[in-house]
Amino acid sequence: MLSAFFIHIAVIIVIYAILAVSLNVAVGYTGLLNLGHIAFFGIGAYTSALLTKNDVPYIMALLASGIFASVFGWLLAKITSRLKGDYLSLATLGFGFVVYAVMLNWSKLTRGPLGIAGIEKPNIFGWYLKGSGSYLIFASIIAAIIIFIIYKIVKSRYGRLLEAVRDDAIGAQALGKNIYKLKIQGLMISAFFAGIAGSLYAHYISYIDPSTFFISDIIVIFTIVIVGGLASLRGSVISAIIILGLPEMLRFVDLPSSMIGPMRQMMFAVILILILMFKPRGLFGKIDLE
Amino acid sequence: MFFQLLINGLIAGSIYALIASGFSIIYTTNKFVHFAHGSTATVAAYFLYWIFSNFGLPLYLVFPLTILIAALFGFLVHLLIYLPLKKRKSSSVILLIASLALMAFFDNLMQLLFGADVKILSIFPHGKGIEILGAYITPIQIVILIVVLLLFFGLWAFSKYSKLGKIMRAVSDNPELAKTTGINSIRVQHWSFVIGSAIAGLAGILIALEHNIEPAMGTHLMIQGFTAAVIGGVTSIPGSIVGAYVLGLTENFGIWFLPSGYKSAIAFVLLLIFLIIRPQGIFGINQGNRDQKM
Repeated sequence: MLSAFFIHIAVIIVIYAILAVSLNVAVGYTGLLNLGHIAFFGIGAYTSALLTKNDVPYIMALLASGIFASVFGWLLAKITSRLKGDYLSLATLGFGFVVYAVMLNWSKLTRGPLGIAGIEKPNIFGWYLKGSGSYLIFASIIAAIIIFIIYKIVKSRYGRLLEAVRDDAIGAQALGKNIYKLKIQGLMISAFFAGIAGSLYAHYISYIDPSTFFISDIIVIFTIVIVGGLASLRGSVISAIIILGLPEMLRFVDLPSSMIGPMRQMMFAVILILILMFKPRGLFGKIDLE
Repeated sequence: MFFQLLINGLIAGSIYALIASGFSIIYTTNKFVHFAHGSTATVAAYFLYWIFSNFGLPLYLVFPLTILIAALFGFLVHLLIYLPLKKRKSSSVILLIASLALMAFFDNLMQLLFGADVKILSIFPHGKGIEILGAYITPIQIVILIVVLLLFFGLWAFSKYSKLGKIMRAVSDNPELAKTTGINSIRVQHWSFVIGSAIAGLAGILIALEHNIEPAMGTHLMIQGFTAAVIGGVTSIPGSIVGAYVLGLTENFGIWFLPSGYKSAIAFVLLLIFLIIRPQGIFGINQGNRDQKM
């Protein structure tokens, strides 16, 4: 019983680690403060759930969820390409809310507030992931691959270019770099992996509804990224373990379950405010949030 | 049908205008997005509910007390959270994230204290309302329209003629210049939090009377109040009021074409359109918040 509980927490941590690392690509490396990241997560989850419901093989659905989220990343980058600072973050927040409203209201496709139930467990070339244990192994492998790819991207010449967009856009431009294109690509990469995380989440929980992807849940992901530190992949992973692990202590205190939800959210908010006040660079951060 | 939607739009616009104008007052002097402004209204509404259902205080005491609590709440948030952050020279983006965290904190605190269910405040019975041109309007709605009109007149007179109002305009126009003439800008920022939050408290009361009270209402209010402010121009208080009515009317006429669930999405679509085409809003001045197109 207890070990099943720990496996569950571990799977959630793995999924959120992917989410945090992918957000860090946009916020930390490219310098795009995207408050609508949760929308990509949701788009990925819905894409994968709906495709497998229509008998598309799981691996195809997994990839499609990343690609589809990435298309929306392109769209968001296009429409916000001329904004920065407060205005950019608010436009992205707005994007997140529009996506949420569509999930809630396009009932024919998403079944609205009822959500989609009975999403099947993945079946990868005969490897049927029925239990949580095997799912944890699968999700960890995917996460390791994703983190490896992102690590390779950010350490490459191309990654340096993204960082140049963040630190000195005009300087990068003077060197003949197309920073407009780089911003779009940065957001697309970020969205792609968030979409994959969404697919992993949908097939693990096996039930999704719009409330999981409401904009207020962006706080958790931001807390993870900022506590871990901007432009630090290691930070995001370690921080995901701490931030998501810590509130689980609440479960061992004898509290009614209706109180645990709000208390968790309040803990995230308090941690976020305290870190902004006392250690805005987080645990392993290299740059300031601007 | 047309007149009913018009009245609904004007009432929604009035409530958004209360949130948007307070938000604008805070933004003009502080220059950052105080997202938890919606939570001020939520806290005020819950306080009203709590004090009304537990103590038999007369209404002429309860309402001012609620507004006072809202003002105090805004002041404390500024003093305890934002001011230390500003002293660290945090960027406006950090303050924005902190305000989002504050909003999440208070929404969940209200849920923890009062439960997730919807609270109904039955101070005045709703009644059927008066019929004007085939549309129904309740007495409370008439009160809302009048109170909001009076408040805006007062706000206009305040910023035009009172000393504090003039100082606030000076700080919002040019904070550096205001400082060199001996204006204590932190004190002005405190005052704008007090005044803006008091108006949010009034909004909380009117919403509690007109609709119901629920923990997440602050988030939704803020989405609309903020959108209204951006449409009109965040740096302009009259602009944000006009923006609020534009939004209220658009939302209500919008449900002629769209399912009512899209009501709040309309706000964000308008917000996106304005941010892209005219980020300074209808009345705002372009202060160069946009990147050059690459």
